[in-house]
Amino acid sequence: MPLALLAAVLPGPPVCAQAAPVVPRTVTIDERLAAAAALAVGDRVLLAPEAGGPGDTVTIAAITRRGADPSEVARSEYRVRLHLDHLQRLAGTGDRVGRFAVASAPGVAPESVAAAIDAAAFGFRAYPAAAVAIETSATFRVVNRFHRAIGIITIVASAIFLLCITLLKVDERRRDVGALRLLGLSRATVVRAVVLEAALVSLVGSAMGAGLGWAASALVNWHYQGVYATPLRFAIVTPGIVAFAVTLSLGLGLVSGWVAAQRLVRRAPLELVGR
Amino acid sequence: MIWRLAAATLLRRRARTALTVAGVAVAAAMLLDMVMLGSGMRESFRGFVEQQGFQLRLTPRGTMPFDSEATVGGAARLADSLRAAPDIVAVAPLLGTKLFTPRAGDDSVVAGFLLGLDPATQGDYVVVEGRDLAADDELVVNANWLAATGRRIGDTVRVAQGYEPQVRRFRGARTLRVVGRARFVMLAGGERAAAVPLATAQAMGGETTRDRVSVLLVATRPGADVEAVRARIEAGEPRVSALSTAAALKFVDERLSYFRQLAFILASVSLAVGFLLVSTLVTVSVNERIGEIAVMRAIGVARGRIVAQVMGEGLVLSLAGAGLGLGLGLVTAHWLNGILAAFPGLPAAFDFFRFEPSAALRALGLLVLCGLAAGAWPAWRAATLPIARTLREEAVA
Repeated sequence: MPLALLAAVLPGPPVCAQAAPVVPRTVTIDERLAAAAALAVGDRVLLAPEAGGPGDTVTIAAITRRGADPSEVARSEYRVRLHLDHLQRLAGTGDRVGRFAVASAPGVAPESVAAAIDAAAFGFRAYPAAAVAIETSATFRVVNRFHRAIGIITIVASAIFLLCITLLKVDERRRDVGALRLLGLSRATVVRAVVLEAALVSLVGSAMGAGLGWAASALVNWHYQGVYATPLRFAIVTPGIVAFAVTLSLGLGLVSGWVAAQRLVRRAPLELVGR
Repeated sequence: MIWRLAAATLLRRRARTALTVAGVAVAAAMLLDMVMLGSGMRESFRGFVEQQGFQLRLTPRGTMPFDSEATVGGAARLADSLRAAPDIVAVAPLLGTKLFTPRAGDDSVVAGFLLGLDPATQGDYVVVEGRDLAADDELVVNANWLAATGRRIGDTVRVAQGYEPQVRRFRGARTLRVVGRARFVMLAGGERAAAVPLATAQAMGGETTRDRVSVLLVATRPGADVEAVRARIEAGEPRVSALSTAAALKFVDERLSYFRQLAFILASVSLAVGFLLVSTLVTVSVNERIGEIAVMRAIGVARGRIVAQVMGEGLVLSLAGAGLGLGLGLVTAHWLNGILAAFPGLPAAFDFFRFEPSAALRALGLLVLCGLAAGAWPAWRAATLPIARTLREEAVA
């Protein structure tokens, strides 16, 4: 029933409704509703359980901003907050509530409080806030798994791309390397030089990638925070993520450099110079 | 001849050609997946909506179907007035409520979703075992409900619309007989669902649901202007919002816009990666054979043939990559679809990735075109190189 109430908020002049109080009760509305219905603090609206039906004239006392709650992001509903007794009367639910929020004392584990409530109160089920958060963020967990899968495909593509480019670069200089080998440069030195070059390219590339990723995350946050009217941060570049990306990139660079160098040093110097 | 030369050039450096083809294949697979993702959700949802056979959905004003517990009163009169309209051929009222069923064998209670409907006009489920509803005291359920309650087709069960766990009291209880197992088209995977005749569902809810419905599905006459019918209904009945199939698709597009935007970005990146790979390989290949190309030009091979050969290399790489990418893309799409199948609130059979041959061909065709374009610059360079100077430099080298 509360959801029906949200849908039935209609802007308009004060209306004498059945059993309307002399002094209108106050409600708060969220920014999305305020923007969509052009409502402001102090406006009076008719709040009814059903469109066109009887209800209460209320005064908007405040406009609220949504919290960073993942479970609400994809929902485009409006949110109105009433005093509990007001909603119970309007919805005709009597002395009933949907849930209780319980704050535990500092230092007390929420799990132990939940277990104590479950043991003491028949017919109730208590959940620690963390468990509720996990349950309500199911959408984001699925999206997270999807992102990981896309990440794996991207890593495979990057590895192939890097190996290909390294091979091409090394192949391009095979005559120079052949000449250096003929002058007495050892195989190990050639391998070290190629691997070092690949590592440097990887490091510079990953540094540029981290910068690009930071800029992209800022763009993503700016766009989706506007789309969903939420302060939630959709993309975060943490030091751990940067460290992972740099390490992975460096590893791929070292492997591709080593593979390319092995192809080079396996061939005789004269063959490398085209003789 | 041109193709043979292009193939010979590519086979000369097999390792890097294989790597480039592999890279293009991954890019093609990603491109194909993103094209499937971009259009799959919309087409999948369109399939669900059109399968029901109704063009309009009437909900309590300002709500989406079953997005809230809001209902519309005076349902019988409203349905009759809709049926009287000349452009409307069928009206299917639906009432969605909670359903509580004691589990067979123990004292636990299973919660689920109850749909009250008119079996003659409904498009919400397909009976897969047993039979459809024929009387007010019958129940059609889905497999999840049967598994959770431990019941079977033919069982007589006590079900209720409300349940107070503190005192273990059921509200709006009825004794019904399970007559069929059905697949509910629009319900999320894992949801336990049952359907009863509308009158039964309304009676179970007592005063709160008497003559009330959650949604009215409306089928229009073939050839009728659906938008005009929708506008007439909304103008004549201020308590309801009328949602057309197009508006429903737009709503889904908005809710899942993130995936479409992600698909667009990743598809663009895939195209760029494919272009860069082919472009790099063909450029290096031309640089390596610059003397060879100068000799060909010196003995009279036309510029057009040089251009065709170099661009042919890019085309062969792209075609091979796109061919491999098609298979790889279908495999990865199946994997990714499996991950997104757990998306909460969506119908179980909803496909995020749907293979549309024409869209797939267009995407891979675009990648091949990119490969062809990637060979354009090195081809132009090869065709316009100064012959005498190149021969002298190569001879000195």
